Amino acid sequence: MDWLQFVLAPQVINGLSIGVAVVLMALGLTIIFGLLDVINMAHGEFYALGAFVAVALIGMGLSFWLALLVTPVLLALVGYLSERTLVQRVFHSKDRHTLTLLLTFGLGVVMEDALKIVFGANPLRLEAPIQGATEMLGLFFPHYRLFVMLFGGAVIAAVWLLVFRTPLGAMVRAAAFDRHMTASLGVPVHKVYAATFAFGVALAALAGVLLAPMYSVFPTMGRDFVFIAFSVVIIGGMGSIKGAVLAGLVLTQVQSISSLWISPVWSDPLLFGIMVLVLVWRPQGLFGRLGHA
Amino acid sequence: MLESALARVAPASATGSRPNDALRWIAAVFFVSALAFGLIAWAVGDVFFLRLATEALIYGGLALSVDLLLGRTGLLPLGQALFFGLGAYVSALVLKHWDASFWLALGVAIGASALAGLLGGLIAIRSKGVYFALISFGLAQVVSKVIYNTRELGASDGLIGVPAAQVGGGLTSAVPLGFFLLVLTLIFIVWALLSLLMDTPFGRQLAAVRGNEQRLAFIGVDPWRVKLAVFVLAAMIAGASGALYPMLRGFVSPELMFFQVSGNAVINVIVGGTGTLIGPLLGSSLLTGLRSVVGSWTEHHHIAIGLLFVAVVIMAPRGLVGGLAPWLQARLDRRGAKDRI
Repeated sequence: MDWLQFVLAPQVINGLSIGVAVVLMALGLTIIFGLLDVINMAHGEFYALGAFVAVALIGMGLSFWLALLVTPVLLALVGYLSERTLVQRVFHSKDRHTLTLLLTFGLGVVMEDALKIVFGANPLRLEAPIQGATEMLGLFFPHYRLFVMLFGGAVIAAVWLLVFRTPLGAMVRAAAFDRHMTASLGVPVHKVYAATFAFGVALAALAGVLLAPMYSVFPTMGRDFVFIAFSVVIIGGMGSIKGAVLAGLVLTQVQSISSLWISPVWSDPLLFGIMVLVLVWRPQGLFGRLGHA
Repeated sequence: MLESALARVAPASATGSRPNDALRWIAAVFFVSALAFGLIAWAVGDVFFLRLATEALIYGGLALSVDLLLGRTGLLPLGQALFFGLGAYVSALVLKHWDASFWLALGVAIGASALAGLLGGLIAIRSKGVYFALISFGLAQVVSKVIYNTRELGASDGLIGVPAAQVGGGLTSAVPLGFFLLVLTLIFIVWALLSLLMDTPFGRQLAAVRGNEQRLAFIGVDPWRVKLAVFVLAAMIAGASGALYPMLRGFVSPELMFFQVSGNAVINVIVGGTGTLIGPLLGSSLLTGLRSVVGSWTEHHHIAIGLLFVAVVIMAPRGLVGGLAPWLQARLDRRGAKDRI
């Protein structure tokens, strides 16, 4: 019983707070892929950029809460512009899968080095906006992690509502299913594409801001994190929202509970092993693609 | 298959010159210039640029293996550095703890990467398209992290103090010009064999996998076998290139397996010209030079390479050689026509 309370429970809480951030990341990836067929290799760098923008805003005197709101909006703008000026240009070529992947990969290389130039390579710290912890049911909840869980959970629910319960979301799903038919119904598909890309980028940035007070902020912080997000999206099914949420929460729990017994070095191989097993069983991932029921 | 059938029905051009004449010319110019570069550098007593050119060729071998998969077979490998790094570690271990023979180290490294390629291929080949890209990325990520944390392999420091490899006849990898010429010869052999391979039924099957995998299955060829074979072959080429690295630099580090190396290989291929085989060698030479030159002014050379890469992907996705070859071919055809008259 003590083991449950003092060893297992903190890991579960830890895993949950990271889990919602991973889900936000994975949602961005999966929505962009589901609609545009684009693997956003720069997703990890957008995540890092989000964290850095928040650090810069707070350095300019903004409160954390304001930065939490402003950063995703700013990054959505960056995402919108990158889609219109870069991704859009190679979107109509024959092998756009490869070209868009390469393009976003190049974008990531440029962004990472740009971050190094502007902010330096040394890790920065961000003070947690709420300190302390609460005891509930004999369990110990650090306040900030509790906030991340609740806020992140609310955002995930909002994304789900937006995609499945609003006319805007219907347009996105329709465009994912058949873009020519959707365009002929008068939906400005190009704008929907750019907006979706922007939305995905904003989600990555939000994850970056939320995790910034828990980890340190450095230019290559996105690399390891995006690996988890990619595993989540592959396991959940590329382009599936349900899959991203489910796989994201389960995988981060596996990672965090397994760290009780195995060294963190082996947690990536463990994730990867799970991913390979799922792919052997279901090559297309657990769930189907956005717009395809 | 289809391509070769078409080639038989319709001759490539009325003059009888073959469509990859231009590529052969570019390749000839490349290898002759490389040879001239080596001799000039030696004559003026330079070591730095000779070593750098050797490194460029070694990364060129890695790029060649990426092109074999990406340009020829349509599989985008984002973790090819896995086999490059594996070859480097195996070669370093053999040289350090077993025997300082060049051929032994190269042979064992190729064998090990063939084995790893078979294992990795069984995992990665199951998936298609972007899934393949991400799985190969993940494979390299996982293995490099494990090596990064294995103390027996030097962890994050890697293995240092690798002795020079004895090639035979008094030549060792510590001789700048001799080792450069040896690497150039090896890369030439790999390039020539791959170029010949593309004209065999197996080479056509690779093109068919890229064109339409399903139809390849309809004519009775198992695409899975073709893909596994080419994956192992690419792993062996990457591993052999990697084996040369510790001989040149005297150390290996886990960074050799990191995404940066895989990514750079893909950049070299795209900038040089996907599917041209000579393009990756050219891209690797030019970009390794550029990295070194820009790197001597500022440590932020990635941003320059990255911007160049993005520009190439958007504006000239066929790359340097891919853009140059059709123009050269047209000129060759015209000249051939004139000669006939």
